[in-house]
Amino acid sequence: MKTARRRLGLVARNVGVPILSLVLVLVIWQLIVVGFHVASYVAPRPRAAIDSVTQNWSVLWPLVLGTIRETVYGFVVGATLGFVLGVIMAKVSFLQGLVYPVLVLSQAIPIIALAAPLVLILGFSTAPKVVIVAWIVFFPVTVNVLDGLSHVDRDLVNLAKVYGASRWRTFWQIEIPATSTPLFSGLKIGATYAVTGAIIGELAASDGSSLALYQEHANSNLNTAAVYGTTMVMTAIGISWFLLVVGVEVFATPWRRRTVARRWPWRRGRDLTDH
Amino acid sequence: MTDALLALREVAKSFGDTVALSPTTLEIAEGSFVAIVGPSGCGKSTLFNVIAGLLAPDAGDVLLAERDVTGTTGHVGYMLQKDLLVPWRTVEDNITMAKRLTGRVTNEDRAEARRMARAYGLGEFLRHYPSALSGGMRQRVAFMRTLMTHQRLLLLDEPFGALDAQTRLEMQQWLLQVWRDAERTVLFITHDVDESIFLADRVIVMSPRPGRVVADFPNPLARPRTVDMLTEPDFIALKGRIMHLLHGGAA
Repeated sequence: MKTARRRLGLVARNVGVPILSLVLVLVIWQLIVVGFHVASYVAPRPRAAIDSVTQNWSVLWPLVLGTIRETVYGFVVGATLGFVLGVIMAKVSFLQGLVYPVLVLSQAIPIIALAAPLVLILGFSTAPKVVIVAWIVFFPVTVNVLDGLSHVDRDLVNLAKVYGASRWRTFWQIEIPATSTPLFSGLKIGATYAVTGAIIGELAASDGSSLALYQEHANSNLNTAAVYGTTMVMTAIGISWFLLVVGVEVFATPWRRRTVARRWPWRRGRDLTDH
Repeated sequence: MTDALLALREVAKSFGDTVALSPTTLEIAEGSFVAIVGPSGCGKSTLFNVIAGLLAPDAGDVLLAERDVTGTTGHVGYMLQKDLLVPWRTVEDNITMAKRLTGRVTNEDRAEARRMARAYGLGEFLRHYPSALSGGMRQRVAFMRTLMTHQRLLLLDEPFGALDAQTRLEMQQWLLQVWRDAERTVLFITHDVDESIFLADRVIVMSPRPGRVVADFPNPLARPRTVDMLTEPDFIALKGRIMHLLHGGAA
């Protein structure tokens, strides 16, 4: 079973190595805190930070859910908006010149400065956080989609034209799949920043309970272990979301890793006709 | 005249001050294999793009089966030196690409694609992505995709130009076999004189500045063509005349 062994090796490399590096970070953290006799109110040992999370999980969990909700909503809104904007700008060159400077401008605004007017407009609900996340996520998606669409092989588009394909078919059958690599690059960049956006939103536009305010509260109580623990939780949300996007990419673009197409059980009938 | 599948009447095209194609009149008989040779800039690709409908000519008409198709698309099969296979589709789905772009891929289309792939040595690769194929195999898939357009006229623009000499000769023999089975009309651009004579019933020679047809030779070689014919006197004689036109008396 050569393939099984190879697959096992791949899993070991793709899962084992990142876990190893994570463990390495914790070990170095431990060594620094112990070796330099760092006071526990400056930096806790990893174990204390982890304990502060597990012991307060019932309080943390709803807050975590809130952050996840903001992240996911914001990401979906931002990615959709970014994709549509990228397509429109690629297709209407007049709009590209007009809109591009505004997009760059939007990213030059410090996010913190954006929060105050957003709270005035939308209140202390989930909405301002979603807007902030979307605001951060849409930009890399737009830029990458625009770039991808303007670099689709002209000969391929011409071939579709010669065959008599409509612009709509050419767009969905040729241009969009050809843009998948830059599209997912944009989505992955967006995914890494999405949680940061959600936390900034919680800091600047929360009236009560949120992960960011929980951390602030721990900080003012000199509960350093909880401060570090919350950071770890936030990071875990960010990494999970990024990995999910990577997973979707792997699933959606099988031709980049495989030489033979997957066999879907529900398409078997189709595959077997005329054998 | 009625047996001409394709007829060009005084077709001309310029880009700014450059005359890419001076007024050209040409008829291609149904079922024939016609090669066009010429150096770069002789207007052969412009000619192709006008026939395919990618370019509207400045003057003249393009008639396909006595129907005016000037400046319109969707009436020829078309293949370039670049195979233009889409990496995200399997071999089978690449072969049926034309139907996917213009209508719906039916089970009959898939069955036909599979039949063709098996007949021409790619049956084991139907579910492979193009990245798994060699250059020669990719060009075969590209040609099957061209056949699956079900167009009577196929325009092939230096389809084997990027292949090594050995693979190219294999592909030429393969193409002749497929062409005989498929009963299509082929217009074949190349800058390889040997290739044009080996494949075609008729060799049209074009020349640049301005792009124009300078000669139109019937090919005396019988069919089926064999590799031995590459050294026959008839072959050498025709090659000599074409080379003379292409490179002038100085060569």
